[in-house]
Amino acid sequence: MMVPVRCFTCGNVVGEHWEEFKARARDGDEDPAEVLDDLGVERYCCRRMLVSHTDLVDVVSPYQ
Amino acid sequence: MTEEYDVEFVEREDRKARFLVRGVTPAFANGIRRAMIADVPTMAIDTVRFVENSSVMFDEQLALRLGLVPLTTPPEGEFTEDDTVTLSIDVEGPATAYSGDLVSSDDLVQPADENVPIIELKDDQRLEAEADAVLNRGKDHAKHQGGVAVGYRHLQRVEVGDDVPEFEEQERRIVRGVIEEDGELVPTSEFDHDLTNRYPGKEVRVEDVPNAFVFHVETDGSFTVDELVTRAVDSIEARAIELEEAVQL
Repeated sequence: MMVPVRCFTCGNVVGEHWEEFKARARDGDEDPAEVLDDLGVERYCCRRMLVSHTDLVDVVSPYQ
Repeated sequence: MTEEYDVEFVEREDRKARFLVRGVTPAFANGIRRAMIADVPTMAIDTVRFVENSSVMFDEQLALRLGLVPLTTPPEGEFTEDDTVTLSIDVEGPATAYSGDLVSSDDLVQPADENVPIIELKDDQRLEAEADAVLNRGKDHAKHQGGVAVGYRHLQRVEVGDDVPEFEEQERRIVRGVIEEDGELVPTSEFDHDLTNRYPGKEVRVEDVPNAFVFHVETDGSFTVDELVTRAVDSIEARAIELEEAVQL
């Protein structure tokens, strides 16, 4: 639903990078790998948290 | 320990560091690692009282998210394990509630990162809550774990041997960590972790340096790496003293 606050595996805080990642790699046309390197998200456990995330708030909000 | 020990930094930032420790046993090195993960107390939100939550997530889901936000941990001795610090959050939609919206009752305990989205609020949705942060250890809950991806590797020494036979294809020699060369420390990332880049056309032998460990430590922002390591070592010392007193006749 919302982006996880921390990486499930190592506990690094990844939530704070989500909005920038989304703006640059999802909505923008930058290479996701380069954006993650730039944000300092190095390990693949943390990278998959952002790469594989989908925001679902917009999907569920009509059913309140 | 009777042996002399020595610490040397390879890389040093506030939240991330790599350092070499010489003259400690593997057991003690692992003891430090474990203490950094499980025995250094940090502040984290533990109890949340919701005044209003009309968002799309349940109270308990939001409480978990709030708990995982790292909070700056005050210097040792300022707080005991029973003290609480109250933080409050009040955001009205349409807006996103961020960790930076938490208002703390104590200047020493603040969200370490301000940009963590807690919940996206739509029109007429509102989040108002009061949260109590407590001091606890990583043993009890991962949210109190100050050290992230803490680990160590042996320091390695490379011995350069004879030339590789002229017509033989040379295979890649991948080494990760830090190598020692004439007393100088070289991170393997300098030569793309491949020893054939550094010593082309040479036979190389890699061996561990006994009792020398390269630690890689990151923190979640609760404190600096220096604080984390010294507090971890202090906790080992405190427990050792406790044990000594307990077994005395």
